[in-house]
Amino acid sequence: MTTTLFFLVLLLGLTGFALSWQKAGLIAGDNPSGLHSRPTYHGLYSFLCIVLSGWAILILLTIIGSAYINTTLLRDIRSALPDAPLIEHQLVLSDAKAIAQSRIASRTDELRQVIATDFGKFSTARFWITIVLTLGVALGVGYRCLTQITLDWRARNRSEKIIRLILVAMAAIAVLTTLGIILSLIFETFGFFQKIGWRLDKFLFGTNWSPLSGVHSGEMDPDRVGAIPLFAGTFLITLIAMLVAVPIGLFAAIYLSDFAGPKTRSVVKPMLEVLAGIPTVVYGFFAAITVAPFFRTTGEAFGIQIASESALAAGVVMGIMIIPFISSLSDDVINAVPQSLRDGSYGLGATKAETIRQVVLPAALPGIVSAVLLGVSRAVGETMIVVMAAGQGANLTANPLEAVTTVTVQIVMLITGDTEASTAAGPAFSLGFTLFCLTLLMNIIAQRIVRRYRELYD
Amino acid sequence: MNDMRIEKRAIQMDDVKFRASDVQVYYGNNHAIKDVNVEIRDKTVTAFIGPSGCGKSTFLRCLNRMNDTIDICRITGEILLDEEDIYHPKVDPVQLRAKVGMVFQKPNPFPKSIYDNVAYGPRIHGLAKNKAALDEIVEKSLRRGAIWDEVKDRLDEPGTSLSGGQQQRLCIARAIATSPEVLLMDEPCSALDPIATAQVEELIDELKQNYSVVIVTHSMQQAARVSQKTAFFHLGNLVEFGETGQIFTNPTDPRTESYITGRIG
Ligand SMILES: Nc1ncnc2c1ncn2[C@@H]1O[C@H](COP(=O)(O)OP(=O)(O)OP(=O)(O)O)[C@@H](O)[C@H]1O
Ligand SMILES: [Mg+2]
Repeated sequence: MTTTLFFLVLLLGLTGFALSWQKAGLIAGDNPSGLHSRPTYHGLYSFLCIVLSGWAILILLTIIGSAYINTTLLRDIRSALPDAPLIEHQLVLSDAKAIAQSRIASRTDELRQVIATDFGKFSTARFWITIVLTLGVALGVGYRCLTQITLDWRARNRSEKIIRLILVAMAAIAVLTTLGIILSLIFETFGFFQKIGWRLDKFLFGTNWSPLSGVHSGEMDPDRVGAIPLFAGTFLITLIAMLVAVPIGLFAAIYLSDFAGPKTRSVVKPMLEVLAGIPTVVYGFFAAITVAPFFRTTGEAFGIQIASESALAAGVVMGIMIIPFISSLSDDVINAVPQSLRDGSYGLGATKAETIRQVVLPAALPGIVSAVLLGVSRAVGETMIVVMAAGQGANLTANPLEAVTTVTVQIVMLITGDTEASTAAGPAFSLGFTLFCLTLLMNIIAQRIVRRYRELYD
Repeated sequence: MNDMRIEKRAIQMDDVKFRASDVQVYYGNNHAIKDVNVEIRDKTVTAFIGPSGCGKSTFLRCLNRMNDTIDICRITGEILLDEEDIYHPKVDPVQLRAKVGMVFQKPNPFPKSIYDNVAYGPRIHGLAKNKAALDEIVEKSLRRGAIWDEVKDRLDEPGTSLSGGQQQRLCIARAIATSPEVLLMDEPCSALDPIATAQVEELIDELKQNYSVVIVTHSMQQAARVSQKTAFFHLGNLVEFGETGQIFTNPTDPRTESYITGRIG
């Protein structure tokens, strides 16, 4: 019913548009410039008024209606069964609703039958009230809009104002959701810190991570929540990834922008961008199934012991994943260095290598740095590859041939593990929050640098 | 090295610096320069004039092979510098450009300090043995570029922080810092005020003692003031080339006369 009304209101809105448009045209007669607003704006204004007021009433009535019916019926049930718990009351209510809609209920006693009849009555009443009020409001608003149309009626300004409000509301939704997520992160993190007795130092600098072992009654042992091994592992893998991605990505970008012909460029660049489109889970099993065993057998051939889950394998594959980021962004900034600068350098008798090294790269450096920082924040937050290829044990090591674990891996393990969610969520949220702060910081720095770079050329 | 075909010669025939014959330039299918024959003399200022889009910059860029950087650009014909073909496969355009400096139509300082902008050329060509020598080259070039007094206290600031006219003079200083034998200037004064213009013209006059200067300009007065030879281009053709005085007072081609008196262009 609600859906039908929803579209009926829309239909009324469209009718309002047509009528207002027509009326504005009639009023203007032979002198269209006499109208303050063009007929389309009169139509738009009517449409917006009708649709927005109709929908608002509809939504309001639906919410208030069900809330009112539920509370009234629950009150009746409570007076009939004063000793039963709330859950019992609710069961009765849902059974009654099922009976009223002739679905199967768990039990059909007399009380349920009575409530069901009541519910049926209420529903019918609500049905008519909603229809009458919604259509009435929509029609009323439409009529008013239609009668308001005169030569001087400022329909354009008014409809633009409404549209601006709609845009503001959409922007607010985006911002508020982000804020909500951050707030819930902070909230849960605080809860966790309370559980470890505010021993922040233990969390940030402790070296022993096994938060869930020996957890009783939700109490956490501050000595077991040291996040250093996780951050060290994240750092190690990120470092390996950047050692792979930065040189390859940067040189690829230089080749693309200054050496490749337009034909090569038009083939290679999209191909690099395909690399960016591969889901990270594919990289993950590529790392675990192909790269890690390959490293291990190669290591054996040289007599080096490489663990089957190693920071090296995860880092290298993550580096490959990040190459297109760095190459694509760097290629853009290198291309943004004006040709006139290159000409100036060539005109002084500089070679291509000298020009790139001494003019193009320094000019593009801020952009390249921010590309690298964005790559780093990708690497830090990357999960799938490390879950599959890096290992789970929180051991603190700088040896890339051993298994290490990362912040993201531990979050996955906490949330998907067997431990009750309310206990596991604390450490997971705190890790997530710390990670979020780190990547946020890096993104802010990257954006600062990019902005400085823009100022240089605009 | 045997690929250094362009060597300084003690004796120069007839003092001709550039000798261009039957030069054609195409941008894709656009025939931008048609059949140009011209001789540019040493120790002389040659002005290129003509309406916008007639190919002045294009021809100027042929003289130091800057057109090599444009993929779609194709050049035929012969251009000799000191009687050596600059488009000969053995000629290295990099070495050619060290000898034939260029100032561009739009100022293009590097995003480096003012000092580094000027020191860039001397550094890559190893012209200064030590810091003191480099300092001297930088100061001399900035003085000759008529900008020393404005920047001497802020040599560490980025060249891009200067005003447009100052940037152009910085680019002139940068070009003369490598002591080229020929200086090609593409509308060097279009962003300058009359005072700076006068200073640059003075510089051109001074450079003429030792070098050959080719200047593209839209100002008839400037061409008349600074040049000894003038070339008039029209729709890719070199319509008339001769003594500046003769071109301005007694042109032989009706198109030249129309342009100079302001009827075409
Ligand atoms: N990079 C380029 N690619 C393609 N065509 C070009 C390029 N540069 C110049 N042209 C074409 O060559 C012709 C001559 O241009 P050129 O820049 O030499 O003119 P100009 O005489 O210097 O004009 P102005 O006085 O406006 O600077 C024009 O038709 C132009 O469209
Ligand atoms: Mg030009």
